Amino acid sequence: MKNETAALGPKKVVGVAVPRPQRTASVQTYIPEIAKGLGITMKHFFQNTKEMAFGQRNDPVLEGIEDGINCISYPEQKRPYPARFRGVHRLTQRDDGAPRCVACLCCSTACPAQCIHIEAAEYPEGDPRRGYERFPQRFVIDELRCIFCGFCVEACPVDAIRMDTGIHAAPYDSREQFIFEKELLMGFPGRDGSHLTANPRHEPGESSHPGLDRDHH
Amino acid sequence: MPLTIVMFLLFVLKAFVVVMFAMNVAVILTWADRRQGAMIQDRVGPNRAVAWIPTKVAQGLALGPAIAVVAAVAFVLVKLEPPPEELAPRAMLFSQLGILFTWLTFVVIAGKVQTRGVQSSFDAWLYSLGDPRRIFYAGLFAHFLALFVGLALNDSSFGTQIRDIGYGCGAGLLIFSVLGGAVYAALSIRNEPRIGLRLAGLLHPAADGLKTIFKEDFIPPNADKFLHSLAPFISFFPALVVMAVIPFGDTLCFNVDHGGLGALMTTVPRDSVCAAAGSVRLQVVDLDVGLLYFFALAGTGIVGAALAGWASDNKYSLLGGVRAASQMVSYEVTMGLTLVGAVMVYGSLRVDKMIEWQQHNAWGIFVQPVAFFLFFTASVAESKRIPFDIPEGESEIVAGYFTEYAGMKFAMFFFAEYIAVVTSAGLMSAIFLGGWDLPFLYRDGLHISIGGTVLFEQALPHVLVVVVGALGFVLKTLTLCWLQLMIRWTLPRFRYDQLMRLGWRKLLPASLANVVATGVIVMAIVSAGPEVGKFMDLLADYTKAFVALAGLGGFIYFVVFLAKPVHKRKTLSSSSAQYAAAAGGTRSARMSA
Repeated sequence: MKNETAALGPKKVVGVAVPRPQRTASVQTYIPEIAKGLGITMKHFFQNTKEMAFGQRNDPVLEGIEDGINCISYPEQKRPYPARFRGVHRLTQRDDGAPRCVACLCCSTACPAQCIHIEAAEYPEGDPRRGYERFPQRFVIDELRCIFCGFCVEACPVDAIRMDTGIHAAPYDSREQFIFEKELLMGFPGRDGSHLTANPRHEPGESSHPGLDRDHH
Repeated sequence: MPLTIVMFLLFVLKAFVVVMFAMNVAVILTWADRRQGAMIQDRVGPNRAVAWIPTKVAQGLALGPAIAVVAAVAFVLVKLEPPPEELAPRAMLFSQLGILFTWLTFVVIAGKVQTRGVQSSFDAWLYSLGDPRRIFYAGLFAHFLALFVGLALNDSSFGTQIRDIGYGCGAGLLIFSVLGGAVYAALSIRNEPRIGLRLAGLLHPAADGLKTIFKEDFIPPNADKFLHSLAPFISFFPALVVMAVIPFGDTLCFNVDHGGLGALMTTVPRDSVCAAAGSVRLQVVDLDVGLLYFFALAGTGIVGAALAGWASDNKYSLLGGVRAASQMVSYEVTMGLTLVGAVMVYGSLRVDKMIEWQQHNAWGIFVQPVAFFLFFTASVAESKRIPFDIPEGESEIVAGYFTEYAGMKFAMFFFAEYIAVVTSAGLMSAIFLGGWDLPFLYRDGLHISIGGTVLFEQALPHVLVVVVGALGFVLKTLTLCWLQLMIRWTLPRFRYDQLMRLGWRKLLPASLANVVATGVIVMAIVSAGPEVGKFMDLLADYTKAFVALAGLGGFIYFVVFLAKPVHKRKTLSSSSAQYAAAAGGTRSARMSA
């Protein structure tokens, strides 16, 4: 009971008293302080104006650690996206230019936004790949619907879909322009400029390939 | 004196020049205010408006003026044979100009090479010279060397040979550097597909001005439509017309010895009085009441703000209007009283007489230093600018008296504010900084003398003196405008009671004390006799020497600051920085403004 009553009432303030700042003559007259403030603004003004006028301003990306203007004048100047940025999708190609995609629908199944539409097809009679693997007759991504989570890339067993283009989905003027078809998706190169995969280990014939090769050996 | 057609045309021309000056500077200030505020905060600011011109045209813009200058120099060399007594000054002029343009061109190109990198063998040679500041120091040395050689060998026979060499070499250097710099500039842009003309971002306010013309002109339904439309004009007009009494240059004399325009090229005696018929006063109207006209019209600006607040049918506007009226009335008192001291010293209300007094004695800032600071503060408050922009006070009353204005009517209030900045800066430079007077530059030329000892004398043609003086006036006005902008970006806004207290309890008593002190000192000096008068003249010469040396030192320091090479540290730790470095840097696509 005693403890409870002690807890009632205003709390005792614990802390250190901060002294009021000294009212010196220079602070009170205001004029030396104005001069100091003007000095600082003028220093910034002259330095930055000089660097802008003579083209000596910082490169906003490479020299961003320096003092001065580090603005990026978009879209004339752009900061490149970092290496692991998830940008617009691309479909990787095989050496012969065919899509790596085998239309297994893993990506469209994994997609939480359900923005991938795949129509699978068989290779024609006589093609060695017939019966071994399929290909996407249509491969459509609705980039407006996409949430850029990267699950499709994780789900793909053959490294056919990647998001390493380093470009963001640009604002277009109609919704139709955000429907990216297979040809467009295969047309995007990766950051290294290649349309192939950087990760060829799932190519049939590779020792790491989990299944049979094309000749059913 | 009868009003002739010529006088009327001259009046219109002068009014046009002054109005254009005030309005253009106001537009530039509108831009500078935004751009400067951004620069101070390490941002770029508005610079997007651009006019693309073909590369050939840009090359023409670089080469055309240079060819004109070269042609003018060649014309003077070949056609205008000077009389023998003017040969030495002209040799001095040409050698100094040649040295000036040579080092200027080399420093600019060397600075460019430092930032852009070496692109040709000439660039490589400039780069091997190292720090561009060395070129500037060499140029300074050459300036002083030419000056001393010219002065020391003035009258000897050896001197005449040196003089001819200096004349020829100076003209040659002038032609070489002007033409060479222009050719270099034209060559360095030859591979660009087109050149963006941004004028450092100055096209931006032009675009903004066009935009405001086409915006909707909104009038609140219950507002007083007539007064609501009238208020911007009442604000705008007085701000513009007060420039009329401020002279922007010395009187141009046509009829000294032989009438006509030829008199402009001759030297005019220092204290000559131009006959009214053959002279042009560089001042729109000639009023004996001078300063009183300024205050009378500046006072009517209050009506515009108050009317706008009242007619808008908006409580925020009303509050803003009332605040504006009370603030401007309060500070008007201080403004008027601070200048009473100056009027006592100068003995005239005419601004041109004040400038003449300053030319013969010392600048007003040395005679009335307290009044200068008081007047500066009061005029910032009078133009309702930060830190005194309580009538607008966007954190409290939206936008104050112009809350209900849009489009061009809003822009007129906006302009009126900046024009008030220009006119107050013009008045301050006339009353306190000598107007068109430059140290030691008199009507007959340059006379550097301290207390009767003549150090340097150079007669100059009349038109040159007047033009240099007018440029000096423009420079002083712009500097004071710039200072007001800097203050805007430095100080926070006052509270309303602080503003009133500052006005009535600090500035007003200080200005009264200034009047009393000035009266006592003026009486003391007048009654003290000629000895003290001589001493005061000596002091006045020292102030002129101080201003001249400070100006020269400031110029040298400024060039050294500009030519200082920059060294930036690169950081490539992030992958995006590595991508950017591989692409040659983000700056390669830089905005040129």
